[in-house]
Amino acid sequence: MADLQKENLLLEVLKNHFNDKIFDLKVQRHQRVHLRTTTEQIEAVLLYLKEKLGYKHLSHISCVDWIEENRFELVYILWHPEDKINVLVKVDVDRLNPVAPNIDYIWPQANTYEREMREMFGIQFPGLVGRKELILEDWDDLPPMRRDFDTLQYVMENFEFRSGREDAQNVRETIAKRTGEEIPEFAKKYSR
Amino acid sequence: MNRAFNDRESQKILDIIKNFARKNSLFILAYGTGCGAIEIPPTITSRYDAERFGIRGAATPRQADVLLITGYLSVKTLKRVIRAYEQMQDPKYVMGFGSCTINGGMYWDSYNTIKQLDKYIPVDVYINGCMPRPEAVIAGFVKLQQLIQQGKALGWKHYKENLEWYRQNQQKVIKNWRMPDYNW
Repeated sequence: MADLQKENLLLEVLKNHFNDKIFDLKVQRHQRVHLRTTTEQIEAVLLYLKEKLGYKHLSHISCVDWIEENRFELVYILWHPEDKINVLVKVDVDRLNPVAPNIDYIWPQANTYEREMREMFGIQFPGLVGRKELILEDWDDLPPMRRDFDTLQYVMENFEFRSGREDAQNVRETIAKRTGEEIPEFAKKYSR
Repeated sequence: MNRAFNDRESQKILDIIKNFARKNSLFILAYGTGCGAIEIPPTITSRYDAERFGIRGAATPRQADVLLITGYLSVKTLKRVIRAYEQMQDPKYVMGFGSCTINGGMYWDSYNTIKQLDKYIPVDVYINGCMPRPEAVIAGFVKLQQLIQQGKALGWKHYKENLEWYRQNQQKVIKNWRMPDYNW
């Protein structure tokens, strides 16, 4: 069992500096600290972590679509090269009006992640520079990584199949039937 | 001289000679999509040595005879493939690798990949598998050589004759059609 001294120290520092502006602070495991903040505070939190605490590497920004709770969750993953700690900073963004602050002046590589999220989830980053298209070309439908974008329906409308696929089984259903597991209603609708 | 070769019998002999030459010097375009591109280096290098069948790489579409579609093909790439294919000189042949080009494969419900390659460009030989190993690739090339020898690998003629049908299918998936017209 590794001791969590460094992780707990970081929690103390953050708690003292930001008080109630950050919440859900916890040490998830060895070398991983988790915290949650708001879109207003995210730039301050990231700048503080980078400039004062030495979390100088932004590993990734990922986006999770919580369609049932009507929100997108942005996860900023930072890394401290000397202390060897990952910090996961999570921010909730409203799903109907998804706007998040642009942070590519803190880390230039954030530009690529933000452009990807703009394209794949439709999240707007005010002041983000770059062409609208990153990966897709001539896309005029819903952003495809959103969970309410129905891939199967899109495929059936735009492509045709040769015969011979009729006996193909739905893997998820087949496994669920075999193990007696129940697929929840929302999962039936949004995932296969 | 010209008159002497105009009758049907000598044309047949000429075709045999032409097809023999074509089948033994298949230059493949150095172009790969999807996972199958990784099967090409072992196929053409010393272990499987495809050059004993006269198969070797070519740098540009205009120098190449064979276009390999090595796996799933996204709509964005399809645009480039059509341009490369239309720039190739006659006679030209297309080989489709793996289940993805035949009927979608494991990407059957992907919004971004095409499901049947032969709706967009004519395919002479399909190799099934996910992915086909170099042995299967070479078997596919041997099949293509047989078809060329018999004069049956005529996808390029078929493409010219049914250009409208192909264009219709291509424009259905490529929404913003900004492509040059070739008059061959």
